[in-house]
Amino acid sequence: MPDSGHSLVVGGLNVAYGESKVLFDVDFTVDPHQIVACVGRNGVGKTTLLRSIAGFLKPLSGTVTVDGVNLLGQRPYDVARMGVKYVPQDKKVFSDLTVRENLELGSYATKDYNWDRVLEYFPKLKELMHRKAGFLSGGERQMLMIGRATLGSPKVMLIDEPTEGLAPSIVTHLKYVFSELSKHAALVIVEQNLPLVCSISNKVYAMRDGRIVAEIPGGASLKPADCEPYL
Amino acid sequence: MDTQLLIPGIIFGLSMASVYFLMSIGLSLCFGLMRIISLDQLLYYSIGAYLTYTVSVYTGSVWLGALAGVAAGGITALAVERLIFRRIYERELTFSMITSFGILIGGIGVIKAIWGVVPRPVRMPTPELISIVGTEVPVYRLMVVAIAALVYIGIWLFLNKTITGKAIRAGIEDVEHVEGLGINVSRLFTITFVIAGALSGLAGGLHAPLIMVDPNMGLEVLAFVFMVVIIGGLGSIKGTLVSSLIVGQVVSIGSLIYAPLALMAPFAIMLLILLVKPTGLYGSTLVKK
Amino acid sequence: MKNAFKWWWGILLAFGLLAASRFFLPLPFVNEVVIFSIYTIGCSFLLGRVGFISFGQPAYLAFGAYGTAFYLFYFGTNPYIGILVGVCAGFIAACIVGPLFVRLRSDYFALVNLALAVIVFYMMQKVLAEYTKGDNGLWFLTNIASTPVLNIGRSSEFFIFAMLVAIGVWALYKYLDDTIFGACCLATKINEGKLQFLGYSNFKVRLLAFIVANTTTALAGALYAVYLGSVSPEITSPARSADPVVVTILGGVGTLFGPLVGTIAYTALRDVLSKFIGNWELFVGFILVFIMLAGEKGLWGSAAPWLQKLFFRGKAADDVAEARR
Repeated sequence: MPDSGHSLVVGGLNVAYGESKVLFDVDFTVDPHQIVACVGRNGVGKTTLLRSIAGFLKPLSGTVTVDGVNLLGQRPYDVARMGVKYVPQDKKVFSDLTVRENLELGSYATKDYNWDRVLEYFPKLKELMHRKAGFLSGGERQMLMIGRATLGSPKVMLIDEPTEGLAPSIVTHLKYVFSELSKHAALVIVEQNLPLVCSISNKVYAMRDGRIVAEIPGGASLKPADCEPYL
Repeated sequence: MDTQLLIPGIIFGLSMASVYFLMSIGLSLCFGLMRIISLDQLLYYSIGAYLTYTVSVYTGSVWLGALAGVAAGGITALAVERLIFRRIYERELTFSMITSFGILIGGIGVIKAIWGVVPRPVRMPTPELISIVGTEVPVYRLMVVAIAALVYIGIWLFLNKTITGKAIRAGIEDVEHVEGLGINVSRLFTITFVIAGALSGLAGGLHAPLIMVDPNMGLEVLAFVFMVVIIGGLGSIKGTLVSSLIVGQVVSIGSLIYAPLALMAPFAIMLLILLVKPTGLYGSTLVKK
Repeated sequence: MKNAFKWWWGILLAFGLLAASRFFLPLPFVNEVVIFSIYTIGCSFLLGRVGFISFGQPAYLAFGAYGTAFYLFYFGTNPYIGILVGVCAGFIAACIVGPLFVRLRSDYFALVNLALAVIVFYMMQKVLAEYTKGDNGLWFLTNIASTPVLNIGRSSEFFIFAMLVAIGVWALYKYLDDTIFGACCLATKINEGKLQFLGYSNFKVRLLAFIVANTTTALAGALYAVYLGSVSPEITSPARSADPVVVTILGGVGTLFGPLVGTIAYTALRDVLSKFIGNWELFVGFILVFIMLAGEKGLWGSAAPWLQKLFFRGKAADDVAEARR
């Protein structure tokens, strides 16, 4: 498997919450420097998929590897240290801590104390350094969360609904950041915003009822209408 | 009221508040970070008190004893965390309550086996009295208050100035996000639990000269400590400080007014506060995942 | 008729066995078991069905016991009326504190109940000492008049009465489990949001469960009062506040017969073990931790499936034999 060329490989993943099964034999692959989008209605298991890869859920069966290294059964913090960072959708920063402290925690976890790239992507954070993260706007929180996750140069970033509820100008900025990020890492983005999805993704997986029902190649030919049926 | 009575009363209340504070700060941190109710902290308190007794008998120094109590509290907490709590962090609150209660009574059995059931006295390290506004106050009680104040400052510095402390604060808000960053939360849990155990041991060691050390001392103080934690709000350090001051003073000043009332009044206050704010003074609406 | 038998046979068998044990076990032990198991079933119901753990059950026990004691000490002589007064006292107390308590989260609930137990303890010991005679307690054994049919002033006849009461209590709880109310209780434990969508009020369900459970506890207190002929604040001592919780876990949370099995095991452990080993708490504590770590099923919870298998395998064999015939 190490030389498959894929960065992240998920095979035959089955996940259940107690008795009720949520994911059924999910297979997918992400190549290095790719942006892969995952679309589908609410409740089809997109977040569950990301959380299972990140180690927060224990799958019933399946495989998850990054650069050929098995991730399954690892604690979430080990998964993060192995270079797979998960950015949850709740936009919950540590509100009692300042922006600087939030970033410090990211550095502490990864031993990467170089914030240049974070501040290059999100210059606005420089002015906010000493503000309590609880007082940030939704967009600023999202910047902090993504910035925090880029510390330690992860190989794969799993980003859940990054643009939900954000102003269009910030969405445009995030789009730029994602394309910059993909120079260093592979991205898996769960997203409902189809124009954004179509403009940045190399590949789109559509999910329905816990299964991947379509794999749509990305690129210039991809139109929002191609993904529409799955929403 | 007579100041001759009032000043020793306030000092007495402050020293009680110090003991309650030292114990409940650990409970509060454990609840905040791990979402567990750790009744076994009362065991580390008893262990701290008993070691103070034993060490002070052999070496003659109560301070050395209290230090031994801190160490023993921390070490026992470490063992319990590794053997038992590690398996139950994921479970609901009632689960940790029952399990830790089992540890508490099991531990009381061990204490009875080692030290017997007879209450033991511990000598006051400094029998001197100091005069404040014309009334004599035992120096030792003031020292207890000073030590608790130092611990508060220390904990504050730890939580606000060290990276581990910041991680603990972040974890109190959302432990999953801390884990997602790649911070070893299981180590964080151990550190917090051991700190809690050591502080409970310290509380026991400092309290020992003021009371008789007996096997059930943990159960006797249990209700008061939990009252402090509830009034302040589980998971809040500041709330813990405020409510331990309230409870300490109510117990102490109350007993000057009408003795039976002293022990009941804090409970009545607690019920009232919970009626108005079901999460305590500084508690947020923390819900277990 | 057959259905009625099917419904009843478990309860009757359990208490039949207990009644039979009266002939080879000391009477005080069996009496203690019966009363204590009634004491525990309320706690077991709260924990297993509603998800509320209470470290303050002695408070409700004390309401029942002191209700009965006041009646028998100051007013009357009929123990049946005494028990009724005790149960009413418990019911009223539960109705008063219930609406305040059931709003709280489960951890606060446990601790607030503990606080209530401590308040009641100090009330009975100190504040109301004039009426309760403080630590000496109220002694009214000689006040209890002998009653026709069942003279419950005598411990052998009290045993029969307590048995009948226990059977009634168990039938009530079995019935509650079968009703929509039982289902609602479980629902509020597992997912309170969903229950609300169905149009039930969490508050009402919890309140009703709380009142039922603690009235049962008060009944146990009233039975204690008549059985012992005295009541002292010791009954609500904070040091014993977790006994019912321990017994509940020991027996198996939320099972019908868990409280009974747990009580027998606990009382036996306490009475037998304490004769040989001074610190029996050590064992109780470690058994408790062990049960929790081993899957929190408890004695009955672990034994029941095994017994069922044994029983049904036997029955299946019978069926086969019958078919052959």
